[in-house]
Amino acid sequence: MYAQFFGNYLLSQEAVTKDQLIQALQKMSSTQIKLGTLAIHAGYMTASEVDRIIIEQTRQNRRFGELAVSEGYLTEAQATELLKSQQPDFLLLGQALIEDGILSNQQLQDLIIDYQSMNELDEGSYSDETMDSINRMVENFFVVAERPLSSYEVSFFQLLLNNLLRFIGDDFTPVSPSQVREYPTNYCVSQRIDGDFSIRVYLDMPEDVGIEFASRYVGDTFTEFDEYVQSSLEDFLNLHNGLFNVNISNESSVELALEPPQVETEDLLTFDTETFLLPIVFSFGTVYLLFEIYQSND
Amino acid sequence: MLNDIKILIGDDSILARKQLKDIISMSGSPIFFDASNGQEAIDIYKKEHPDLVFLDIVMPVKDGNAAIREIIEFDKDADIIIVSSVGTQSQLKAAIETGARDFIQKPLNADQVRHIITSRFEGR
Repeated sequence: MYAQFFGNYLLSQEAVTKDQLIQALQKMSSTQIKLGTLAIHAGYMTASEVDRIIIEQTRQNRRFGELAVSEGYLTEAQATELLKSQQPDFLLLGQALIEDGILSNQQLQDLIIDYQSMNELDEGSYSDETMDSINRMVENFFVVAERPLSSYEVSFFQLLLNNLLRFIGDDFTPVSPSQVREYPTNYCVSQRIDGDFSIRVYLDMPEDVGIEFASRYVGDTFTEFDEYVQSSLEDFLNLHNGLFNVNISNESSVELALEPPQVETEDLLTFDTETFLLPIVFSFGTVYLLFEIYQSND
Repeated sequence: MLNDIKILIGDDSILARKQLKDIISMSGSPIFFDASNGQEAIDIYKKEHPDLVFLDIVMPVKDGNAAIREIIEFDKDADIIIVSSVGTQSQLKAAIETGARDFIQKPLNADQVRHIITSRFEGR
């Protein structure tokens, strides 16, 4: 999940543009993490030391680790440890941006330090994405709410991001949410949850994005925006909301009611109550989620 | 296998109906009936007397639990399986109390569906 939030952090810092981020997301799956990036992240080497070794590699045909050890920047043990250890997924995104020439090693190092301190991340957090650390990131992410999120909301948003990872793919970044009073729709479906936590969730996207979203969700290749693609979007929403109900019921013994999903036919949605717009930038296009919150007390 | 077996699938999602049919069709060629809401499921059940029914809970017009009640009232031996994303303990309890025989939590697990089919119709 850290890579997804890191992408948003880069956007909010204007370190990358949306197009650059999309390109890096597309590249991420084929990017191999480099030892230099790992060494910077572990604090064993500075960005300028890594740059020095990379320049040196153009003169001598030797591996990065070998050179870094012979130059005294890394010990053999550190080089071995870096290659074996489990690394945070956001480094891959950073690596892809470096390879595209968008960021330098130094810029990535500075951004990572700020990002970690903002989210109180430490080494231990990466191998085990704890509920606490993810919850904190969700809360930091929703600063727009201008109020503490309820535990329902935190659980809901966390599960939603996990379900996007699980059912659609990891090549996305959520963009900082905003509050909206109205929203012009593309193809939009919605579903209402009722009870102690009352909310209507909207899932909206252009048709071409919908075709790819549905293809990934179903594990099939759709080529046109047909009834199966449309149904897939409702199905994803229904599945997520259903699983959320199950979680809430198991954790708090609270039962929420779910209405059937529906297609929104209005070109412009208007909202009377607090509503958040959350764009999710995937490598194949942007998906929009809206949360019209009626009641959210703990 | 499954020749002449009638299976009714009640789900408002055309995708969910197709996915279920695709999985079942790997075990044979039954006769399928589609319903996109609880009322349609009741009407088709009364007309066709299917051997097996898969029903979603959250559906428009009439939900799955209401449909189970009416179907069981009509035929107390109806073989109904709930397929839903809302597998809370109370939903499960309500479904079993109204007469459902089993409960499948979405996303669909093909093995679970196949087990339900083979345990009933193997050799038929």
